[in-house]
Amino acid sequence: MTHHATLPRPGRGQWAAGDADGGGGVLPRLMPARAVPVELDEHLGRFGAPPYRGAPRRLIGDVEAAGLTGRGGAAFPTHRKLAAMAAGRGPAPVVIGNGAEGEPASSKDKSLLWFSPHLVLDGLQLAAEAVGSVTVALYIHRNPRLQARLAAAITERATAGLDAAGVELIEAPHRFLAGEESALASRASGGPALPRFKPPRASQRGVAGRRTLVQNVETLAHLALVARYGPGWFRSAGTADEPGSMLATLHQADGRTGVVETMLGTPIADLLRLPAQAVLVGGYHGTWLPGAQAERLPLANAALRPLGAAVGAGVLAALPGDRCGLAETARVVRYLALESAGQCGPCFNGLPRMAGALAELAGPRPSPQAYADLQRWSGLVAGRGACHHPDGTARLVGSTLRVFAAEIDHHAHGHCTGTSGRPFLPLRADPPLDDADWT
Amino acid sequence: MTAITGSTALWYASRATGVVSLLLLTLVVLLGILVNRQGRLPGLPSFAVTGLHRSLSLMAVLFVAVHVITAVIDPFVSIGLAAVVIPFVSAYQPFWLGLGAVALDLVAVLIVTSLARAYLSRRLWRGIHWLAYAVWPVALVHSIGSSHDLRSGALLVVAIGSALAVAAAGLWRLAGAAREVPRAERAAYVLAGAQRQARRARAGAGNGGAR
Repeated sequence: MTHHATLPRPGRGQWAAGDADGGGGVLPRLMPARAVPVELDEHLGRFGAPPYRGAPRRLIGDVEAAGLTGRGGAAFPTHRKLAAMAAGRGPAPVVIGNGAEGEPASSKDKSLLWFSPHLVLDGLQLAAEAVGSVTVALYIHRNPRLQARLAAAITERATAGLDAAGVELIEAPHRFLAGEESALASRASGGPALPRFKPPRASQRGVAGRRTLVQNVETLAHLALVARYGPGWFRSAGTADEPGSMLATLHQADGRTGVVETMLGTPIADLLRLPAQAVLVGGYHGTWLPGAQAERLPLANAALRPLGAAVGAGVLAALPGDRCGLAETARVVRYLALESAGQCGPCFNGLPRMAGALAELAGPRPSPQAYADLQRWSGLVAGRGACHHPDGTARLVGSTLRVFAAEIDHHAHGHCTGTSGRPFLPLRADPPLDDADWT
Repeated sequence: MTAITGSTALWYASRATGVVSLLLLTLVVLLGILVNRQGRLPGLPSFAVTGLHRSLSLMAVLFVAVHVITAVIDPFVSIGLAAVVIPFVSAYQPFWLGLGAVALDLVAVLIVTSLARAYLSRRLWRGIHWLAYAVWPVALVHSIGSSHDLRSGALLVVAIGSALAVAAAGLWRLAGAAREVPRAERAAYVLAGAQRQARRARAGAGNGGAR
């Protein structure tokens, strides 16, 4: 199976052919127009060398005017992280591009690193210059092919004299939480990739005790384009509140998956082929929405947040009508429970129990106790971990109980509307890292 | 005359506060082990167990301070100020008082690092806190060696009882640590337990239906 066959058809706002340096609203910006990795000469021909500003802080104003926010899921304003890091005292900070997407349903960071590595590496250098850092690294999951490609790209850039700072590749283990900021800082310091209690945050005391700026790789790629084309160009896509484009990983109801570049604010109905029974927004720490509701919503936090949902790292999954939402979520929650780092009692005790209770609800004639237990435990685990793993899992479970309430009722009477037992939501990342798999 | 009365008072005060200090340190060690094992006391939430451990340790510090100060200013025996913190330099009972100085130094380190815990890495604090297991035996041997109080009568019973209690708690602590599930396997362990429970519940519900 080639990956291209699994790409959704380009529609409005999708990854259609176009020039990134042409008109503002034309996508794709980050991804190549053809699904072929961009080599350095092609990258230089299209974008030129990274536009260094010559001194720290000079880029931050443009990033602020552009309104760029973190694309790793939290959507935190990038300029605020940069400004805080540039203003801090003490030794020069460490800058790390975070490409460790542990979420099995997301593959946009891996795709970006595979197809447009030089935009990410440009962004890394420009962010480092903006905060006055010369210690720079890229953090990605173990993946020999991607690592080899990136190592070659880094060497090539160093030979061409493009990079102000040498870039180290740091390997992340294949764990869901490995990309969490404090886990990253711990791993980059030579320790295990385990989340730590905050404070101190990585920005205060991160890699080897130094202040550390962690930015998602997609954020860095956007930053590299903001540095070239300016905030006005960046804002010509997306909405006024949430400007720019973003990468999204789509899981269609027919089983096809793919990464698309879309504008923030694009209707979900333009991205997913609907109707669907329900739509999972924001991945496995995200929220189920009823299919009929999702059809009317744009992919924007302004519309999603009031419903308890968020764009997150841009995962959208349309649950087909022949699957049981309870059984699907029970599999995911079981996976999330097993991905607990085993550090915090509420997490490693609570999540497995929630997984057990949800598995019970997914079966025939569950005990009424299971439902009550799930609600109680969801309240008990939230906010009580070193990281947000319990909170995210409780959010997913809470939306499952709301959206699949009718299904829970069916199960109580011994029926299940799901007719296919084939798993739908992916539990292991299967990244499109092969040209052959893409074309 | 008043001087003699005052000086015996100091001597008695030092002995009494020494005994109370040992009892408080015993309680602090027992509670510390309970905190480590995430155990409960009847009627107390777990944060209160931690709070009690902390409060009693600060109280023990007060009693140890009075114990040491009264011993130093008591004119019957001469204990130099240096001997309070430097082990084995006292003119009076250099060895037994030296153990007391060792215990005092260790307690000081434990208290200071715990008060400054927010500024230390968790690993450093934990490593230093292991010293608590050394403090208690040293303090006990100091108590028995430097005074006859604990060698007979009711206080002997108290000393033996304390020793047995700390030894039992220590063994319980070791047994618990040996049974501890490694971090990476904890969630799977709990999940397996939850599934067993769910199966039993379902089997129970099935029987109920058949009846």
